Amino acid sequence: MYQRLPEWLKTKVPVGANYARIKSDLRGLNLHTVCEEARCPNIGDCWGGGEHKTATATIMLMGNECTRGCRFCSVKTSRTPKPLDSNEPEKVAVAISKWGLDYVVLTSVDRDDIPDGGSEHFAKTIRLLKKKAPHILVECLTGDFRGDLDCVARVANSGLDVYAHNIETVESLTPYVRDHRATFRQSLKVLEHVKKIKPSLITKSSIMLGVGETDQEVMDAMKELRKIEVECVTLGQYMRPTKRHMKVYEYVTPEKFEYWKKVGDDLGFLYTASGPLVRSSYKAGEFFISSVLRKRQQELGVGSGIAEVRE
Amino acid sequence: MRGVRVTINFITPEGDKKTIIANKGESIMDISHTHDDIELECACEGSLACSTCHVIVDPEYYKKLEEPTDEENDMLDLAFGLTETSRLGCQIVMEKDLDGITVTLPSATRNVQLKGSKLS
Repeated sequence: MYQRLPEWLKTKVPVGANYARIKSDLRGLNLHTVCEEARCPNIGDCWGGGEHKTATATIMLMGNECTRGCRFCSVKTSRTPKPLDSNEPEKVAVAISKWGLDYVVLTSVDRDDIPDGGSEHFAKTIRLLKKKAPHILVECLTGDFRGDLDCVARVANSGLDVYAHNIETVESLTPYVRDHRATFRQSLKVLEHVKKIKPSLITKSSIMLGVGETDQEVMDAMKELRKIEVECVTLGQYMRPTKRHMKVYEYVTPEKFEYWKKVGDDLGFLYTASGPLVRSSYKAGEFFISSVLRKRQQELGVGSGIAEVRE
Repeated sequence: MRGVRVTINFITPEGDKKTIIANKGESIMDISHTHDDIELECACEGSLACSTCHVIVDPEYYKKLEEPTDEENDMLDLAFGLTETSRLGCQIVMEKDLDGITVTLPSATRNVQLKGSKLS
């Protein structure tokens, strides 16, 4: 009746000085992370840093209340989240420059209650961060802004280096798994638009496995991403965050994830990260992407993600 | 915290009946989450942003419920297997006059079962 969590999904409890330090920095500035709100199993690993890794967290902008209710996500949902903190962009820049990172990922909740979906707030955060710490590579994982491509452009033009937006699952399961306002095709349009208006940006998407998809559907989804020139894809196991969320359909084996890694490579993705605990923000991927970006910068003889800093 | 006790019957998607003694003031969503044997998702935790807590109310009791708000109706429209007596579980709050209510957890809901598991 109760299927135990497979061994390969068991993770350590987060402890240690780095973990405590990051936590205190975040709380001190009243910042949120997707790591905590969405209960990522890798939190101990990322926040803990360690021998050769810098401790890092993925800050979640615009509060910890999302206007959407996706079945797989434990981030709080509200029709009327608290108003945006106009000091957040500055606080984020302060926190991140303090952490001594060379690559950072920012994400946000969906804010369908705000006319521009929070895209200006997001863009401002990126600009300020780039101004304060121009050497840091910035990856942003955004929502779909309800398909409003002007909002997408606002973020895409803000100076970031990697633009990520998740399709989350295969096309046929999207209506069952994601919030009703999200669609597979809308998400593809977001990614396609980013590439169209700023070809120098690396685009990225992620898929959760284990929610009832077939192999063919996964293959088709990956092909759709390749068609719109998405360069990076990550595949990870869906893990049920709480009893209030949808059940896991299948625990996909590490071997199967290896198979998908090979499929991604064969399809021509620049980088495919695939494993049970792999999530959109994946440390090893960052090393690879960083080296690609820095190489491109050298070739172009310019800084990355060029944008006028107006602040 | 003890309050006025009321009885609620759940019919699971497999057709099993489970009777729960709940407190006045608890929503069906609350009740399902304090009882391990009642599986009811509530992805948006009662903020009317999804339809995963959709239940089918027995007609006699359906009449006793307050009219759904526009927001609830919007979300109900998205529910799978919608019926004439469907409501969102997060919006049904147990009162004395709902004592003995029966709600059915729809089998048409896309609640994926763990592959290979025995249905309980």
